[in-house]
Amino acid sequence: MATLELQNISKSFGQAKVLHDIDLAIRDREFVVFVGPSGCGKSTLLRIVAGLEEATQGRIVIGGKDVSRAHPLDRGISMVFQSYALYPHLSVFENIAFPLRVAKLPEAELKRKVGQAAEILQLTDKLQLKPGQLSGGQRQRVAIGRSIVREPRVFLFDEPLSNLDAALRGDMRVELAQLHRKLDATMVYVTHDQVEAMTMADRIVVLNGGRVEQFGTPMELYHHPASKFVAGFIGQPNMNLLPGIVQATDSGGVTVELAGGPTLTLPVEPRGLSAGAPVEVGLRPEDLGLGEGLQMQVRVLERLGGQSITYGAVGPLDKVCAVLPGDAPIREGETISLAINTNACHLFSADGQVSRRLAAPALVA
Amino acid sequence: MADITETPVAASARRAPIRMPERWFAWALVAPAMLFIAVIVAWPLAETFRLSFTDARLGGESFVGTKNYTDLLGSSRFHDTIVRTFFWMFVSVSLKLVLGLIGATLLNAAVPGRALFRILVMPPWVIPIAIGCIGWLWLYNGHFGLLSGVAQRIGLIDGPYEFLAYKTSAFYSAVVTDVWVGTPMVTLFFLAAMQGVPRDLYEAAYVDGASRWYRFRRITIPQIMPVIVSMALLSAIWTFNSFEVIWILTEGGPRGATTTLIVDTYKVAIGNYKFGEGAARAVVIVVLLAIFSLIYLYFLGKVNRHYGSGK
Repeated sequence: MATLELQNISKSFGQAKVLHDIDLAIRDREFVVFVGPSGCGKSTLLRIVAGLEEATQGRIVIGGKDVSRAHPLDRGISMVFQSYALYPHLSVFENIAFPLRVAKLPEAELKRKVGQAAEILQLTDKLQLKPGQLSGGQRQRVAIGRSIVREPRVFLFDEPLSNLDAALRGDMRVELAQLHRKLDATMVYVTHDQVEAMTMADRIVVLNGGRVEQFGTPMELYHHPASKFVAGFIGQPNMNLLPGIVQATDSGGVTVELAGGPTLTLPVEPRGLSAGAPVEVGLRPEDLGLGEGLQMQVRVLERLGGQSITYGAVGPLDKVCAVLPGDAPIREGETISLAINTNACHLFSADGQVSRRLAAPALVA
Repeated sequence: MADITETPVAASARRAPIRMPERWFAWALVAPAMLFIAVIVAWPLAETFRLSFTDARLGGESFVGTKNYTDLLGSSRFHDTIVRTFFWMFVSVSLKLVLGLIGATLLNAAVPGRALFRILVMPPWVIPIAIGCIGWLWLYNGHFGLLSGVAQRIGLIDGPYEFLAYKTSAFYSAVVTDVWVGTPMVTLFFLAAMQGVPRDLYEAAYVDGASRWYRFRRITIPQIMPVIVSMALLSAIWTFNSFEVIWILTEGGPRGATTTLIVDTYKVAIGNYKFGEGAARAVVIVVLLAIFSLIYLYFLGKVNRHYGSGK
């Protein structure tokens, strides 16, 4: 296995620059997820690592060796595609064996390796079938099997679960996490689904508009988002952003008057904010509870059993979300009062910069 | 709720009286096409079959039983014609498929001006065959033709060479022209099939270290194999029945060197007014092509099973 460094990577298609000076250092055996909205450049970045696209500038270093101009085979990577890219005319066995046939491996060794991969992926009884006879999850496993037999130094996954239904996606997430532990390999995984990113990654790269917004552990991203974009992107349901005006600042925090709501003192670094500055207070739906504070008129109530996802209007905002207990005694149409846990609040200046929280919980990896 | 349970009953009750007229209406819609097929295809086919048991000529006809067929079976000239026809078909179709595959691969490559090349492939197929063949007549001409002239200039031949005057050269000259006419369509079909192969398959193979040739052999060819087989069958039938090219270039000569079954049938039935004998030849063509097609379809099914995704 190996480390993977991306140094100053930029990519342009004609006049359009899609990646801007990406610098990342991925550790040996780490599971790193590139996440971001459609068009943020995450797949392009992965394809550059794979050698399917050439960077306009910058270097790719795998295991200490510059492979920027190397053929994918010489980079020691293997890739699993979104569409699985299985050869429809070949059996499962031949699909998995494909890279070994290219490498002209002796038949006995080829059979042993394919057998091993099939065993890891529980495909042993499917080897003679063709891809068209498999379910989506099984096809994905065949694609992973084709990667495993190569014994690459870095595994690359390009949105491998996006063609699966929700239930299967959950199962495959667990399987992939187990596979990572089993293979003890460096893995880079691209997805637009932040739940996949949060559940599987050792560290997450959040990309936006071809730039790295933040690179950190899931809990770092959740508790200390580097920008309003990251704060809004990470977390399900999305963070509420309530507009307000700074009333006062001191070393203990910032006092903000929410538009149409109460005045709160948030334990965050003032970071250049002064009285009168417009700000946004970030409140995660799960940090709101029933109690004195914000007045919200409930418009939509989703009872999930264990939780009640509540959407309603607060002051000038007409779509604030709160995650309340499943049996919360509330109804659509009524006005409820929500307590705000100020220790859990985030504060963003008008330019989207974040003030560091002073009362955030200790981070766990 | 009451409305919902009543609706289907009410609907079927309403529909019942118009069920028969609907069926008649459907027949009325297909009737013109069926009449057309009956007049243009079915009746001539049946009439040809009937004529093949007669000695029909301009002056009249009488029933001769299977005489026309027994004469054909005993005729070594007719046997030669069958062999020549299959040889003509084999050489021409093979060349069309190979050139079509090469052409499609080149046109599918990411090269500058690809769109222009795709357009340039079309003329042999688009221009009328007769006009194209007249051009080839000029090319093959010994005294004024380009080929003979160039061959003389570069010292390949000493004097004028009439390509269509000698048995072997006339046969292969006709093959070349037939290939020229038939290759563009094969190329375009192959190109369309190649463009339908998902790009991911090539990228996955590239990442695995597969060379261009390996990718072509193990991905492109298997993926387009059903189209190759289908085109081979269609091209074989068209080439078997190819008439214009041979007739315009050589009229089946010299000394029968380019006389295929279809040319022979025309010569006998229309040239010599022996409609009965000509009809027997036409029936033989139908039977041979039917057998050929059945064998081909059998293999097509096998190919589809082998190269399919298993769905």
